[in-house]
Amino acid sequence: MHTHRLQSSSAQFHSDPKIGRLILVSLVLHVLLVLVMSGTWFGPQRRDQAPVYYVDLVHKPVLDPQAGRPDPRPKAKPKPAPVKSVAVPQPPKVVEPKKPTVKVAKPAPPTVVKSELKPDPKSEQKLQSAIDAMRERQSRQAEIDALKQKLAGLQDTRAAAVPADVPVGMPTGTGDEVGVSMLAYIQEVIKQNWALSPYLLDQSRLASIEAKVSVRYATDGKLVGFRILKDSGDSQFDDSIKRAITKSKQLQHKLPQSTELTVVFNLKEMAEARR
Amino acid sequence: MRIFWLLTLILWLGPWAATAATEIEISAPGEQTMPLALTSFLAKDGPEVAEIAGEINEVLAADLDLTGLFRFVDPAAFLSDAGRIGLYSTQVDFTQWRLLGSEVLIKGAYTLQGDQLIVEARLFDVINRRLLTGRRYVGRTKDVRRMAHTFADQILKTLTGETGPFNQRIAYISKSSGNKELWLMDVDGHQPIRLTDHRSIVLNPDFSPRGKELVFTSYRANNPDLERTEIYTGQEAKVSSQQGLNVAGRYAPIGRELAITLTKDGNPEIYLVGFNGSIHKRLTNNWAIDIDPSWSPDSGHIVFVSNRLGNPHLFIVNVYTGETRRLTTRGKYNVTPAWSPKGDRIAFTRQQGGSFDIYTIKVDGSDERRLTFGPGNQEHPRWSPDGRFLVYSSDAGGKKGVYVMRTDGTGARRLTSPESDSNHPAWSGRW
Repeated sequence: MHTHRLQSSSAQFHSDPKIGRLILVSLVLHVLLVLVMSGTWFGPQRRDQAPVYYVDLVHKPVLDPQAGRPDPRPKAKPKPAPVKSVAVPQPPKVVEPKKPTVKVAKPAPPTVVKSELKPDPKSEQKLQSAIDAMRERQSRQAEIDALKQKLAGLQDTRAAAVPADVPVGMPTGTGDEVGVSMLAYIQEVIKQNWALSPYLLDQSRLASIEAKVSVRYATDGKLVGFRILKDSGDSQFDDSIKRAITKSKQLQHKLPQSTELTVVFNLKEMAEARR
Repeated sequence: MRIFWLLTLILWLGPWAATAATEIEISAPGEQTMPLALTSFLAKDGPEVAEIAGEINEVLAADLDLTGLFRFVDPAAFLSDAGRIGLYSTQVDFTQWRLLGSEVLIKGAYTLQGDQLIVEARLFDVINRRLLTGRRYVGRTKDVRRMAHTFADQILKTLTGETGPFNQRIAYISKSSGNKELWLMDVDGHQPIRLTDHRSIVLNPDFSPRGKELVFTSYRANNPDLERTEIYTGQEAKVSSQQGLNVAGRYAPIGRELAITLTKDGNPEIYLVGFNGSIHKRLTNNWAIDIDPSWSPDSGHIVFVSNRLGNPHLFIVNVYTGETRRLTTRGKYNVTPAWSPKGDRIAFTRQQGGSFDIYTIKVDGSDERRLTFGPGNQEHPRWSPDGRFLVYSSDAGGKKGVYVMRTDGTGARRLTSPESDSNHPAWSGRW
């Protein structure tokens, strides 16, 4: 009897075309909603990309250097003289050998004449060593010049290979100064202001601890506000984050627009280093 | 119409989804120490005594430096606020300290009235301009170091949630008096006092977890017997004087029992004995040598050394079932284990390449880490009660001495003078 009722209600269900259409529309809406929420509608998100960090140990990030994305730099003319690098970022400075501080008597002709007049084995030795030193200096200089030329050549090749959409401030970028994107700038400022000793935390949690904070900056670089989206469960960790953000309440540079972003704090790098 | 609503929905959610994608990750702090400004304590009401202020600063600086938590702001850079007593947050010019890059600030004052000393100490959060903790200690002039150690403990409690181990004691064996006797000192090596006068050989001390009491092995009766002493009264009593060795006595963290190595049956074995020496249980029964027991914090397991598989290695035995498993597999000579008070790791000594060094290993036998790298021999590691530090003996400077380091092997420093020729340290519980 019960089965019969079910069958009859099912038949009624199929016989009403409006209900079927409504369900179909509902299904489509749900699918669309899922697509929108997952973000796939808008293409791949930044977060999904494996982050690649370029650390410039010489140049700290600066916002809006000279002209943001610079034009392709002029091709360096082949010069025999040491080439002054203008690529972004500046290559590590080649440490030139220090000029010899020991003053070596130049093999000036009068001295030679003198020595000829009075053949002194000591002064001859001195002269010889001075000539040797000079030769060595010259050969070193020649080596350095050759290396510099080689380096300049490499930079030319690299600059030519750089695609047009390389982010500003990346080592593969081009231009006259090291620059950085706004996000990288904010990231660096907060990171520099974040002080936390690993000894404060439970060592077993170093790899897994994480907190998310939403921060909002006005165009004048002032922190409008922040809120913890997800705490780490460790009060020391959370306090250190709050201190870091409070210390970053005024950025040194203006921002192109008011910015709200989510900062994920974790200790993955530290945990990796302490393995 | 439906399409219109759908488009509206997408347009409304679009910016939201785009905003959610703006996310940056910071995977390490810019600085792995907390910038700390430690100001000199100032005289409040009584006379100014430079020694008192100097001693407080010295103790606080040494204790806090050992933690590895802080980077000290150079006192030469201090501004005018360092010269003012600021015991309340409203009295402190935080802008000055912020300018110096400090995140936390220690200020304090003392009052000396006759021999009575009152020390008031404060820890401030410079960034949030608030008082983190404050204490007022009353005592005599000779207590000044103790007051400073106690405040260092308080600072650790405030910042980490766990009290520091600085106002505690370290027992050790020293030949300062000509014989190997039991000594006691502060955790920074100051104020050493001799506890025994056996004029024989005293070895291997261990603190009672409940009180100020120690067990040790003494040869004064021409046999290595286990004895105990009450630190304040100086009263001594024999615990175990079985024929043969009565060595390496270790108090159970929970319960009134000791683990000990006895050779009464000819072969070194691990036993559990009561405080009167009565044997409760024989834990090992093996042809091999079983020595050096150390309890797990829950008193359920004991780690010990055995050469039952050839070379001396560490084994763990379940106290209730007797079930035994091997812990170390590397090396050929692993001895003197010490179970951490947190229960997760075991410190031990390994002989390799002719010298001894200290290692730690997880209780499951994984994640072995070498902490010391010579020169000389590093032996007898013992944990501080909070599990942050290890105290051990080393002959790196020629004569044997007691050293302390963080449990990752950093910050090692000598505590005893080279003349004291000391070893076998043990860290007390809460004093």
